Amino acid sequence: MRSASDERTRPAPALSAAAGGVGGTSRLRPVIAIAVVVAVLALWPSVAPNAYMLSAGVVVLNYAVLATGWNIMGGFTGYISLGHVAFFGLGSYGTGLLVIHTGMNWLLATLVSALAVAVITVPIGFAALRVRGSSFVIVTIALVLVLQLIFQSWSVVTGGSGGLVVPRPFPDMLRPEHHETFFYIFLALLAVTLLVWTVIDRSRFGASLKGVREDEDKAESLGAPTGKLKLIAFVISAFFVAVAGGFYALWFADLDPLFQFRIILSSWIVLMALLGGVRYLFGPLLGAIVVGSALEYFVLEHGDTQFHLVATGLLLGLVVLFLPDGVLTGVAQLFRRFRPEATSIREVSAEDLRRQQEEQEAPQQPTTSKEASDDRG
Amino acid sequence: MITGTLLFQSLILGVLLGGLYALLAAGLTLYFGIMRVVMLAHAAFIILAAYIAWRFSTATGLDPMISLVFTIPLFFGIGFAIQRWLISRLKPATMTMMSVLITFAIALIIEGLLGQVFTGTQRRINLPYGASSVDFFGAAIPVVQIISFVLAGLSLIALYLVLKKTRFGRALRATIQHREAAQLVGIDTNRTAGLGFGLGLATAAVGGTALSLQATIFPSLHWHWIGPLMAIIVVGGLGSVPGAAIAALLLGIIRVMLELWWTPTWAQTIFYLALFLTLMVRPQGFFGGRLAQRF
Amino acid sequence: MTAADPTTGVVLRTDKLTKSFGGVRAVDEATTEFYQGRINGLIGPNGSGKTTFFNCVTGMIRPDSGTVTMHGKNVTRWAPHRIARAGLGRSFQLCRVFPRMTVLENMLVAVQPRSLGEYLANSRNSESVDKARRMLARVGIDHLENSEARDISYGQQKLLELGSTLMTDPPFVMLDEPAGGVNPSLIERIAVLVRELNEEGTTFLIVEHNMELIMSLCDHIVVFDRGRQIAAGTPDAVQADPKVLEAYLGV
Repeated sequence: MRSASDERTRPAPALSAAAGGVGGTSRLRPVIAIAVVVAVLALWPSVAPNAYMLSAGVVVLNYAVLATGWNIMGGFTGYISLGHVAFFGLGSYGTGLLVIHTGMNWLLATLVSALAVAVITVPIGFAALRVRGSSFVIVTIALVLVLQLIFQSWSVVTGGSGGLVVPRPFPDMLRPEHHETFFYIFLALLAVTLLVWTVIDRSRFGASLKGVREDEDKAESLGAPTGKLKLIAFVISAFFVAVAGGFYALWFADLDPLFQFRIILSSWIVLMALLGGVRYLFGPLLGAIVVGSALEYFVLEHGDTQFHLVATGLLLGLVVLFLPDGVLTGVAQLFRRFRPEATSIREVSAEDLRRQQEEQEAPQQPTTSKEASDDRG
Repeated sequence: MITGTLLFQSLILGVLLGGLYALLAAGLTLYFGIMRVVMLAHAAFIILAAYIAWRFSTATGLDPMISLVFTIPLFFGIGFAIQRWLISRLKPATMTMMSVLITFAIALIIEGLLGQVFTGTQRRINLPYGASSVDFFGAAIPVVQIISFVLAGLSLIALYLVLKKTRFGRALRATIQHREAAQLVGIDTNRTAGLGFGLGLATAAVGGTALSLQATIFPSLHWHWIGPLMAIIVVGGLGSVPGAAIAALLLGIIRVMLELWWTPTWAQTIFYLALFLTLMVRPQGFFGGRLAQRF
Repeated sequence: MTAADPTTGVVLRTDKLTKSFGGVRAVDEATTEFYQGRINGLIGPNGSGKTTFFNCVTGMIRPDSGTVTMHGKNVTRWAPHRIARAGLGRSFQLCRVFPRMTVLENMLVAVQPRSLGEYLANSRNSESVDKARRMLARVGIDHLENSEARDISYGQQKLLELGSTLMTDPPFVMLDEPAGGVNPSLIERIAVLVRELNEEGTTFLIVEHNMELIMSLCDHIVVFDRGRQIAAGTPDAVQADPKVLEAYLGV
């Protein structure tokens, strides 16, 4: 650790311009950014050359929702779940079964199914969070494995290994139209997920979660009920992934337990979020676009081979070793290099501080830039 | 009709399976104890060892157990390398999570390569004694399972002796119990950790070979094993080798006996149920004693 | 402000607090008191159980038996966050800050929401930010507010840690070796701050090895040895106590 440097400088004029940056981020900025990104993505159906590319777009959007939803837990708390595909599968089957057996409206079925998944996630999350990091990972993986077992065996309910066919919500549509409609449905879901992420990011809930990520003991010692907070983040995260699962079931229409609960999908979700950057709103989306497109391209050119596994493993390993904070963090760090950093300690006694504040409360001085920028927060 | 003989047979088979589980779980416990790493690739290495044993056996016509002569040192070396060159690179702050991802990546790579090289076809070794069984008080016990058990038992004893009686074993136990204290006493904990990892992977070599005698193998088989093994080490107590062994035996017996009433797939879920219950009721595990901690 | 025990002005009391690790009794039936409104000190040779005692009181470790009473409430075995919300702030022996968050963010995280509305509210609202900046100015690192906590020096991190602990205006603050690893002028700085805050009404309990600091700063000192209190009183009384000498010199 560097030794304390504590030259007592003369009381400098209040706060450099850099401090103004704190208040500079307006509440509306991320919302506008989301709207812009969504608008851009919405152009895809118009530029996609054929129906296949359009459906690839749907797949990528699905990944984006999964990765952003995952990031609500993984990014904020630092707890890496390798089992999110479980919620995807549960959401899919839940929606499919509801539609088949009750004829419920497709949107309602999806939401009900996702809510059910959220409820189930409470005891699961509770068990998973019992022993800090290790039990969490173990439980999330075990969850996927056991669900795969159950859904394969329970053929009466789930169609077993034969698969479950889900009736389409818009049976009269042709394929391209079908893809386009679901593209927009997934896009809407992505917009909502991004909004929720950003609301959490700016809220005190998010701040406490980030405290958990940085130093859980310290967060607890400050008074944050870390257990409850983690569980809530986990449940919210599971909910969005389950909704995506529901929409997927309605779009793809054919469910197979081996496919709905494949661990490799979990690893892709993690890879996408990590690659893009877990601390950024659009990180998972970026990762989903990069990895998702690469995957689709791969399947197109080389068919479905075992190489998928090797490539995923290699990429995941590389990201973890060399780029653990993701691409966007690297970009942000480049910008940060240009900001000056002071390293000395000034000393202000309580009296001086009170006097300073009184001075600043006096009418219009150049040093009130701090006050002005605060109001924008 | 479930007879006494059938019950007895299931019990014996459960013990034999439990012994194998105990060896496999012991390795997993070592990694966790040394570095707090949940080594998800352990099962993948087990399957890799099984494939090597199978290939060796089909290529040379010799008994697959002979492959242990080179797989044990090979895996030991690989384990050492993984710890020294990969795991140790990770920042301590995010060690647990990142090591999980790295080991997960390794597992994927192994599975992918096995699939590429050997395809997904299920393989089984044709052993001259593969189908024979021994009569034990009316119970028919397959010879291969007895051999697996003996292999596992011998390895566990060897592991026990290494841990308790050798200097290296003492250093390893010290590193597991309190890394800083071990450093203060002059133990090169980095090297010890590497050797410990190698030891863990060496047990995978034995376990995989033992498995190859009795099971049909395919590349994604490791997913079938990593779940139960993780459950075992949690039930036994994260970080405790004896705890893992006891949990392994217990769960192995229950697992086999459940097949009297349920299909194998449903019987397999007992591991996950045990995992869930343990975390709810006693997260530090049931059999670990002081060694098991709430990490 | 939360109430101290009304009859005797005791902010923290333990009764036969015990914690063993294997065969070692780190804290051995420790019965001790610390007083409201004072700067209390806790000293003792290495291995006397101070840190374990500290951790039992703050909820990081569960004691085997005995009770802990803070502000008149029995907080034994409460989770750390509950104890914190009951009116306790604490620092860590090896200074802990949130490394990848900026100094200002570190301060803002310390604000503890109490309702759903507060949880959903923007963490950067002007009230919190103002308060954070005032506190940062007071400890002297306000010009670092946008630096990441891991980039600032150790001494600055100590001040940050102290500042963030104070964000919730805890009536009682426990400091674990605040002088550890910092140079004398910064130690003086921290001492001045503690004295000022104490005059404003904050009760302190400081665990320390630095005798000069403790003796000059504290009004009431408790001495630990072998897991329990062996002496207590004013700095002069404690320094003159033969039992204390014995504990430190092992005579």
